[in-house]
Amino acid sequence: MKEILRTGIILFLICAVSAGLCGVVNSVTAPVIEENLIREREEALAVAAGEYSVGDEVAIDTPDANVAYTILDKGNVVGYVFELNATGYGGAMTIIASYYSDGELISAQLTTNSETPGLGKRAEDPGYMQMFTGLGSDAPLPSSSADLPAEYADAVSGATVTFSGVAEALRNGSALAKSLGGAV
Amino acid sequence: MSAHMKELTKGLFKENPTFIIMLGMCPTLGVSTQVSNALGMGLSVIFVLTFSNMAISALRKIIPDTIRIPSYIVIIASFVTIVEMVLHAYVPSVYAALGVYLPLIVVNCIILGRAEAFANKNTVLDSALDGIGMGIGFTMSLTLISLIREVFGSGTITLFAVGGFDGVIEIPGLSESPIGVLTLASGALLVMGYLKAFFQWKSSRGKK
Repeated sequence: MKEILRTGIILFLICAVSAGLCGVVNSVTAPVIEENLIREREEALAVAAGEYSVGDEVAIDTPDANVAYTILDKGNVVGYVFELNATGYGGAMTIIASYYSDGELISAQLTTNSETPGLGKRAEDPGYMQMFTGLGSDAPLPSSSADLPAEYADAVSGATVTFSGVAEALRNGSALAKSLGGAV
Repeated sequence: MSAHMKELTKGLFKENPTFIIMLGMCPTLGVSTQVSNALGMGLSVIFVLTFSNMAISALRKIIPDTIRIPSYIVIIASFVTIVEMVLHAYVPSVYAALGVYLPLIVVNCIILGRAEAFANKNTVLDSALDGIGMGIGFTMSLTLISLIREVFGSGTITLFAVGGFDGVIEIPGLSESPIGVLTLASGALLVMGYLKAFFQWKSSRGKK
């Protein structure tokens, strides 16, 4: 009995000290991380809007997207920019994507993700999203890699799960833009 | 060479964790697609290994034998968590590149292996030197593998962006038609196998 108590107390002390250390470091780093994330999101929103300006936040009620803002051309709503939720090989990912009101994708950028470096991670490259841009209104967004022109096969091969996740999120975003349909 | 120096240098070649002891294969194969990832991973491992070795060595007379593994894991996990939070806050690009491999340092066999095989039997100073040496050996091996994989697999060398330099060196001729398989998982095993064979050949030749 005494031995078990002694062992338990030692393990407890080690855990308590470790947890305390992590807590101290976390209190220093947490605000910096938070700031980084907010700045990253703002920058990504501005980049996604491109030549247009970012307007007001739109209230949405869907698990597909976290936030939505209108994008404006000379004060008129021409489309939306969303932070979309996607599921990749390494778990949850977020994509910042802008659409015209008819669902056509203007631009997209993969932000938060835990994809495999060298494979799924390549979806972060600026060129990756080119296979989706301009699609979504008349021409549908691809739903499998078989729908893609051959020139994109290299970007997708080895990272099919990432591709499917990105494509699905972008299709959801397109549908969301259509459903909002220009009204604020 | 003093006994202390020996603890430091043995990890570099004689007991290199990757090519001789064959520990920590998962991160070696996983993150060695880019030189910058290898360096980031290597530095993180040096830090965690040195401090966890020191902590475990300092506590080696206090930790009862029956609970040594859970104690080691808690100590190692704390240092990994600290590295993770610091990288996330101050070098987000490295944090993003390392992805899931960073928390996986907790179960990196090198760190638990050194704790079990070395730190719990030796003094704090020797354990720290062992940690630094093993860490540098791991970083060197990882950098070598990633250099081969990146140069031939994508025709680039990715370092860290400083000022006007964006951190990517393109190698003419190779970047247009790289050997793509080397960046895939099978390429990692191929490069690893050839390098292991090479070091085996070198060491067996020395003995004759």
